[in-house]
Amino acid sequence: MRLPIRLPGLPDGTLSRAKGAAVGGTLAALALAMTACAPIQPLPEAVAHNDVTSAPIGNQKAADGGDLVMALSAEPDRLDPTTSSSLYTRYVMQTMCQKLYDIDAQGKIVPQLATKLPEVSNNGLTVTIQVRDDAVFADGTKFDAEAVRATLDRDLTMKGSARKSELGPISGIAALNPTTVQISYKKPFAPLTAALADRAGMILSPTAVAAAGDSFGDHPVCVGPFKFKQRIPQTSIQVERDPLYYDAKNVHLDTVTYRIMTDSNIRTANLRSGDVQVADSIAPQDVDALSKERGIGVLQVGSLGYQGLTINLGNTNGVGKPPGDLNTPLAKNAAIRQALSMSIDRKALVSTLFNNWYEPACSPVAPSSPFSSDASQTCPAYDPAKAKQMLTDAGVQVPFPIRVQVTNSPDSLRYAQALQASAADGGFALTIAPVEYSTLLDVQSHGSFEALLLGWSGRVDPHGNMYNFLATGGGNNYSGYSNPAVDKLLTDASATTDQAARAALYGKAVQQVQADDPVIYLYRIHSLTAYSTRVAGIETFADGVVHLSNAAFVKK
Amino acid sequence: MIRYLSTRLWHSAITLALASVVIFIGIRQLPGDPAIAMAGEEASPEQLDAIRSKLGLDQPLPVQYFSFIGRLLQGDLGKSTRTGTPVTDLLAGTLPVTLWLAAYAIVVAVVAGVLLGVVAERYRGRWPEWISNGFALIGLSVPSFWLGLLAILYLAVNLGWFPASGYVDVGTNPVRGLYYLTLPALILGTGLAAVILRQTRASMIETMSTDYVRTARAKGLGGGRILFRYGLRNSLIVVVTIVGLQLGGLISGAVVTERIFALPGFGKLTLDSVFTRDYPVIQAVVLVITVGYILINLAVDILYSVINPRIRVGSN
Amino acid sequence: MAVTDIRPAAPGATSLGSDRGRIWKSLRRNPLGLAGGILLALVVLVALLAPLLAPYDPAQVHFATPFQKPGTVGFLLGTDDLGRDIFSRLVFGIRSSLEVGVLAVLLSVLIGTPLGLLAGYWKWLDAIISRLNDVTLAFPFLIIAVGLVAISGPSLGNAAVAIGIAHIPAMIRIIRGETLRIKESDFVIGARTMDASGGRIIFQHILPNTASSLIVQATVIMPAAVIGEAVLSFLGLGIQPPAPSLGIMLSDAQQYLFRSPTAAIVPGLGIAAICLAFNLFGDALRDAMDPAATSRKK
Repeated sequence: MRLPIRLPGLPDGTLSRAKGAAVGGTLAALALAMTACAPIQPLPEAVAHNDVTSAPIGNQKAADGGDLVMALSAEPDRLDPTTSSSLYTRYVMQTMCQKLYDIDAQGKIVPQLATKLPEVSNNGLTVTIQVRDDAVFADGTKFDAEAVRATLDRDLTMKGSARKSELGPISGIAALNPTTVQISYKKPFAPLTAALADRAGMILSPTAVAAAGDSFGDHPVCVGPFKFKQRIPQTSIQVERDPLYYDAKNVHLDTVTYRIMTDSNIRTANLRSGDVQVADSIAPQDVDALSKERGIGVLQVGSLGYQGLTINLGNTNGVGKPPGDLNTPLAKNAAIRQALSMSIDRKALVSTLFNNWYEPACSPVAPSSPFSSDASQTCPAYDPAKAKQMLTDAGVQVPFPIRVQVTNSPDSLRYAQALQASAADGGFALTIAPVEYSTLLDVQSHGSFEALLLGWSGRVDPHGNMYNFLATGGGNNYSGYSNPAVDKLLTDASATTDQAARAALYGKAVQQVQADDPVIYLYRIHSLTAYSTRVAGIETFADGVVHLSNAAFVKK
Repeated sequence: MIRYLSTRLWHSAITLALASVVIFIGIRQLPGDPAIAMAGEEASPEQLDAIRSKLGLDQPLPVQYFSFIGRLLQGDLGKSTRTGTPVTDLLAGTLPVTLWLAAYAIVVAVVAGVLLGVVAERYRGRWPEWISNGFALIGLSVPSFWLGLLAILYLAVNLGWFPASGYVDVGTNPVRGLYYLTLPALILGTGLAAVILRQTRASMIETMSTDYVRTARAKGLGGGRILFRYGLRNSLIVVVTIVGLQLGGLISGAVVTERIFALPGFGKLTLDSVFTRDYPVIQAVVLVITVGYILINLAVDILYSVINPRIRVGSN
Repeated sequence: MAVTDIRPAAPGATSLGSDRGRIWKSLRRNPLGLAGGILLALVVLVALLAPLLAPYDPAQVHFATPFQKPGTVGFLLGTDDLGRDIFSRLVFGIRSSLEVGVLAVLLSVLIGTPLGLLAGYWKWLDAIISRLNDVTLAFPFLIIAVGLVAISGPSLGNAAVAIGIAHIPAMIRIIRGETLRIKESDFVIGARTMDASGGRIIFQHILPNTASSLIVQATVIMPAAVIGEAVLSFLGLGIQPPAPSLGIMLSDAQQYLFRSPTAAIVPGLGIAAICLAFNLFGDALRDAMDPAATSRKK
């Protein structure tokens, strides 16, 4: 946008014949491009991509020391596990704030600061957790059950806590002895273990909390292989090796630097040029080329979240309020929404747009989740002809107009345009209304939308992917959906401890949701992480978080 | 001169006061709730209320405005609602990056622009002039971010000559720092170089055809000495003025350059703060730009009136 | 971004009416200007005839054939990530880029001209208008653009409005300068002694004489608007999809730059061609209107 300026009293420079030559050159290049003839290249066959969750050190020799730089696709918010609501904060916290539980490569919950899985009393109201006795916080404070109690108490009581609802209806927490914590519930709450494998399970140093209070996030202190060193806002966060860590012998790097780079191809370029060693959220269109390159490897794992089209059914007063009456055909007639779902060629969309690196999705339960079942993985058949027929039967205008709001990021715009093209075959005329991310979040909570395209990053426990979104009055029920049958199924599922029984309940809920379509599930991303083979020991599991704790540069 | 200066200062003060009101009210008209932007996709209603009262967003607008001005006068710009960092720290961290980048780009642009401008004048009608003019055309007609992308693709990734991104503080490590800034500065400087080139060439042509140059030549003065004594000296005044005028544009051009090269600069801060509705940061950023713009304009105006006293009369 | 192209009328600039013949003659004798003019005509023709030239609907998605190379049968310049024909998108993209430019010019002319005339003619209005102008100038263009888009969403109109607003201050200053100059000319002083009203003088004498500066300024705004649209699209603030614009094509293509560089190069060349046409033509026009400069160069 810089413009030429001319000063008063000065003649403008004329430009000589070279201009003409430049014009000619441009046109010649274009003409050349047009004369060549080549046959159409068909789309390559769809290839199935298997999960690759780690780049193990294996037989390679790990060098001690060094600074590993990871390109992070978004800036984390404040580094306080109690208030954080950014996915990317988890990436950074993973190296310096260990949790009571973690998940492994199979998506199973395993102990981290706890020593075994929690013991639940027969009535489901008392949960007992045993914790390590050999851990020390980065500031030298001893880690014990009392620190766990204090942290959970902070999660429940602190103003602005984002963890409160994740922990469920807790009635009391007690440290019975230095290694035992007991949590009492008013009602049984099965999703607790999964919550403790996320930010709610990160235990903070009581000394640091007492000293810093609300500004703990400016200099977090936890138990972890690394400890906080510095943060340059909008730029980078650096952590350094913590000599007090209980398993320090398996930590190789001196420091890890997370450098924020929001553009996907810039992350890729930096990985190629060697300026960073690990980069998250690689664009699917770059993965094929990247994985063929020497010196670069790609990890991939299916996400537990989903991308979907939320349709406003009754969000008239804002999210969390009792649903109102929108009185539009789209909101009132489930057949129209079913027709829309039916007219989306989910397979073709992911294959063209994402080279098959992402997968079609029809449900909030990921197939990789232990709670997945045949019932929760059924998909409406792609049938544009039938969709059109259903629209005609419903007696509405064909093509049926729907205004879809999307974020103005290139990826979501691409998907929206493809969605538009696909739905057109089924008799729908979608209008794409791109808005900024901040505005879309606002629109979503206030209910000022007809349909909107947004995703959910996903939680280990299906409760975190369904209850708040689909239960009447739920904190994230942006659709304003209300179905007593679904409410009951979801509530029962959260109070049931048996995994198979819960899976069955979620399966039933999904089938009802597919009939009502408050959210039309579209696809599920895969967390694509690329790394330089100069480093090893990197892992990424179903929660999408990239683990760098045991990573190391490889000796040549 | 003193009267002129005091009028200009007075005008600047009014502009600044008006701008502060416009900024304050303007950003609060944007849709998008900073509390939601801050709490993100998982926000619960209680969490949002807590954030709003913490930020003072539940107060009436005038109260918010005057408390903002009051704190501003004490040098307190507030804290970022997103990361909790004091805004002054954010400015102190990002401004040097952009100023180094801009300074480097200016040096690149002046050296390239003047050199090519002189070449174009000396070799009129021959190939060096064509090259120089071709460059001027490209600089003016091609979007700089497109050039930036191509530069990353070919110079950084394929050839590996430059880093594709990253920043090293120039103050602490000048060599590495400048190396990291080279590609961004080249891209940012291209457009400015094209403008300087054209002006230099035009001013050189004008000077070299004046009577005193002809006289000097008749006296047997060498071509090189004439070039330096008359031609370059005149065009340098032009260059200084252009740079002054373009500085504002350069800083905002940095927004895009910083985004492409992932530089932690002021432009990136501006964009991020607007996208996340970080009110205190937006306010500060716009204020800095406004003050900067006013100061530059003041300097350019004074420079003008020094060079050419007639302009003072015209501006009343 | 800051608009610093504040170029008061060149010394000796003349009114359009009296010298139309001379300007035309001068233009014809300038080969580069002629080249610019031809390129300009070509670009405008492409924009006007877009529906006839484009083999496909620019928004038509071909799921089965994304990323075709240039020169593929049926797809002259290949296809993009959604299998859309790049040639069709280029043709329509040029059309929307020019639309943005024209709208931006219209906006800055419609608002800038009256304000410039008022500020130039009446001193007391000058103080107010110039202060407001300073405030607008001091605001970064991008902040205005983001604000507009945040309020009413990305669209061709909003992009044009944001760019247009950014160019109003320069327009006001130029027209104000012209008015100041023309106000002192003999025929205006003559009209004033004959008791003509201010409004009458402005409309009959001053406005027609600012036309040449207006046109020259338009040739400056056009390329700036085309590049401005590209920058806005790059930042996600451009035209509403699936409508094509050169900026959107460029920012889309940037996502798969490594896989298919041609998809980024084509719209980039399109932008360059439009800007080149206006820059060449504008230069020639300015030279033609400023006989002093032309003679100096000879």
